[in-house]
Amino acid sequence: MNRRSWLDVFLGTSVGAMLASVFYPVLRYLVPPELPEAPTTRALAAREGDLRPNQGRVFRFGSRAGLLVRLPDGNYRAFDGTCTHLNCTVQYRPDLQQIWCACHNGYYDLGGRNVAGPPPRPLDGWEVHVVNGEVVVTRKA
Amino acid sequence: MGAALLVLLLAAAPTQEPPRPSPTPPSSCLQCHLELGGQAAEPVAGMRDDVHAGKGLSCHDCHGGNAAAGHDGDIDAAHDAAKGWREAPTRLQVPQFCARCHADAEYMKRFNPHTRIDQLGEYRTSVHGRKNAAGDARTAVCIDCHGVHGIRAVADARSSVHPTHLADTCARCHADAGLMDQYGMPTAQYADYKTSVHAQALYGKGDLAAPTCNDCHGSHGAVPPGVGSVANVCGSCHGREASLFRETEQKKGLELDLCIQCMVCHDNHAVKAPTPDMLGVGPRSTCISCHGEGEPEYAAASRMGAGLERLRAGLADARGRLERAEQAGVEVSEDQFALQKAQDHVVEARVLVHSFDEERFQAAVAEGAAVVETGHTAGRRAFRELRERRIGLGISLIVIVAVIAGLVLKVRQIEAD
Amino acid sequence: MSTAPDAPLRRLWGWLDERAGLSALVEMARHKRVPLHRHTLWYYLGGMALFLFSIQVGTGILLLLYYRGSAGEAFESVQFIMAKAPFGWLVRSLHSWSANVLVFVVFAHMFSTFFLKAYRRPRELTWFTGMALLGLMLAFGFSGYLLPWNTLAFFATQVGTEVAGSVPVVGRFALRLLRGGDQVTGGTLTRFYGIHVAVLPALTTVVLGVHLVLVQRHGMSVPPGVEDEGRRTGRAPRTLPFLPNFLLRDAIGWCAALGVLAALAALFPWELGTKADPFAPAPAGIRPEWYFGFMFQTLKMLPGHVLGIEGELLGIVAFTLGALVWLVAPLVDRRPGHRASRAFTVLGWAVLAYIAAFTALMYVKS
Repeated sequence: MNRRSWLDVFLGTSVGAMLASVFYPVLRYLVPPELPEAPTTRALAAREGDLRPNQGRVFRFGSRAGLLVRLPDGNYRAFDGTCTHLNCTVQYRPDLQQIWCACHNGYYDLGGRNVAGPPPRPLDGWEVHVVNGEVVVTRKA
Repeated sequence: MGAALLVLLLAAAPTQEPPRPSPTPPSSCLQCHLELGGQAAEPVAGMRDDVHAGKGLSCHDCHGGNAAAGHDGDIDAAHDAAKGWREAPTRLQVPQFCARCHADAEYMKRFNPHTRIDQLGEYRTSVHGRKNAAGDARTAVCIDCHGVHGIRAVADARSSVHPTHLADTCARCHADAGLMDQYGMPTAQYADYKTSVHAQALYGKGDLAAPTCNDCHGSHGAVPPGVGSVANVCGSCHGREASLFRETEQKKGLELDLCIQCMVCHDNHAVKAPTPDMLGVGPRSTCISCHGEGEPEYAAASRMGAGLERLRAGLADARGRLERAEQAGVEVSEDQFALQKAQDHVVEARVLVHSFDEERFQAAVAEGAAVVETGHTAGRRAFRELRERRIGLGISLIVIVAVIAGLVLKVRQIEAD
Repeated sequence: MSTAPDAPLRRLWGWLDERAGLSALVEMARHKRVPLHRHTLWYYLGGMALFLFSIQVGTGILLLLYYRGSAGEAFESVQFIMAKAPFGWLVRSLHSWSANVLVFVVFAHMFSTFFLKAYRRPRELTWFTGMALLGLMLAFGFSGYLLPWNTLAFFATQVGTEVAGSVPVVGRFALRLLRGGDQVTGGTLTRFYGIHVAVLPALTTVVLGVHLVLVQRHGMSVPPGVEDEGRRTGRAPRTLPFLPNFLLRDAIGWCAALGVLAALAALFPWELGTKADPFAPAPAGIRPEWYFGFMFQTLKMLPGHVLGIEGELLGIVAFTLGALVWLVAPLVDRRPGHRASRAFTVLGWAVLAYIAAFTALMYVKS
């Protein structure tokens, strides 16, 4: 009698442990992660307050680099951060209020248009939305 | 009147096609020269593609004479001095001949308000121009580069002075040892240029922003950049490097002109992509071409070379680790993206070499090293995650084995009854 | 036997039984007995396939919560599952590994029933539905393989649908139906997604349901050899009660399978590769998943033309005829010991050898 109930207890607990080890990952999986979705058409570029006016920063959008610029008037603009000349990552120059590529001195204006230097094409512009204190950049997939 | 007719015909041409002269020449120049054939017909054949003809100009606009007369073969009626007939200019006279229009602001603005009219003035400052003024008929004049009766616009990809053809045009003389020896000029420039990274960009990648002969030497005022202006010339594209270089000169009170600036480390025509081993004290280093062992500069170069090498090696190592983690199934694309920043710092450090300021250089290297360190941390985290997975697996396997053991015993128990 | 702690449970059971007739099911299960002989081990394969299929359904539903079925987002969503979703790497790797193990087990189940001649009367319908299930599992594999939208899957799908297109008469139509157009595009992906998560599960539910009902109805088949022995010795075959003996043994197998899958998922996570680029040239060494390997390898090795007929076409026709012959086995092999019966056994070994050899060949060649 003793052995029978001991075995049942053992079997019961180990089955319970097994079920727990199955359901624990499942439950964790169901709880949404910090970023709710893959950044293909939408990426979090910054939080409000990260950038001062007349400041820029490079952010990641999927597999591409993006440039987020906060204009002197406080609005945001976002561009594809890859220079159209030889694919270096561009940066924002607050002193010139232009976008600059350090590799061969290419310049773009705040509309993304290539205005000086070797870049042959403008930078693609992306949409920016400020939602709940987050600066979100979207582009067509 | 023939000219007017020609202009009308040209004006009536469809707008999509580049304007070209009518196939049946109403002007006596064209008609006669075509009929004469052979050498006399050569100018006419080329006119079809000529940019001047495209703008409605014809033979008499440059050579004078009467295009309305001489259809009957009366050469004197056509070549009428009273109508401004000028014979074909000699080679020495060509610059003046072209400049009659091209240096006339009022005339040129009719065709293109932005066009430059200083080509003759520039030419006179050039080596070609000075030799021409001194009576050297072999030196280059307008028609040698631009052609004579089939001149295409510079932007026309078929033009002899289009960036993709310009080097070949210059090389016609400058790579000709027979000609250049008479002036004591080297002829290796063309071959050297073709091996350069600029030529690779221009011909290989089709990057029209890449320099060819005229971008450094000028188009009409062709002069080898003076020893003091090499940095300025290179700096017209490589602005950061040039301005850092200038700062060095000012800060250290150096007379870097003696070392012909950029050319010391980088060639002038055979410019190759710079390699990391150009910095430091290794066999391929350019620093040691001036600085000897024992000098403080030598030691600085050694430290800088070592710093850059450490950074590059660290970056490669971090990249490799993340790649291995990726192969093992940990997703690390975000960390790999962050490592890109380290590559930017490597580029920054390499640019800062031109400041010859060890402190600034090492600061950039240190920034890069910090990013590389985060990459290493990410790699360690990734492998830790792998270990955690294996531990998790181990635990669940133990549990599963326990369940299996329990089941086996249970089956035995049931069947023992 | 009712003790105080059991009472609420018993009342619940009674309430459900009155309405759903559960006790009848339990009675039927109690009566089910499994024959015990030297080939009993093969009986476990069917339950194993069912278990693995349930894992597929479970992990598949979990994947559905994060996966996106469009060309612009599919790859990134799988990347997200692998990197960002907690234990996403586990869910996805389990799904991929279990799929492969499932196909293997289903093939093994089919071959074991074939060699043990379990398809004999009255179990012909079980055999037909079983073959249909095999086809459905292969369709699941083919459609699911494309869903991560990576380079290998893209080109493997291209090759696979191309082969479908070479079937005579209906090939062109079938190709356009599968691809959602003339080429493999994002439209193909969406179509395969719908097929994988809706069409095939619906079909499988029906066919599997029929299959299981038939298995319960006829009980487990006893192989001819064992039957003969029983007749000779005059002894009735030994049996094992399904509940709880056989089921507990099933459970042992299932736990073992779970352990193996967990180990595979954790130690050899399923790779993601690079995102598909429809405009890039096909990389060298494109091949389908292993379970299509023998067909792929055969078609590759056939000469371009045989007696004026295109080699590939001949291959497809041969496969179709072969499948038909295999399918009608129960209608031809009616009497054990008969010449036809022995011929089918030999055929079975030949087919098994052929599949094993050509699958191995595909890997050796690449």
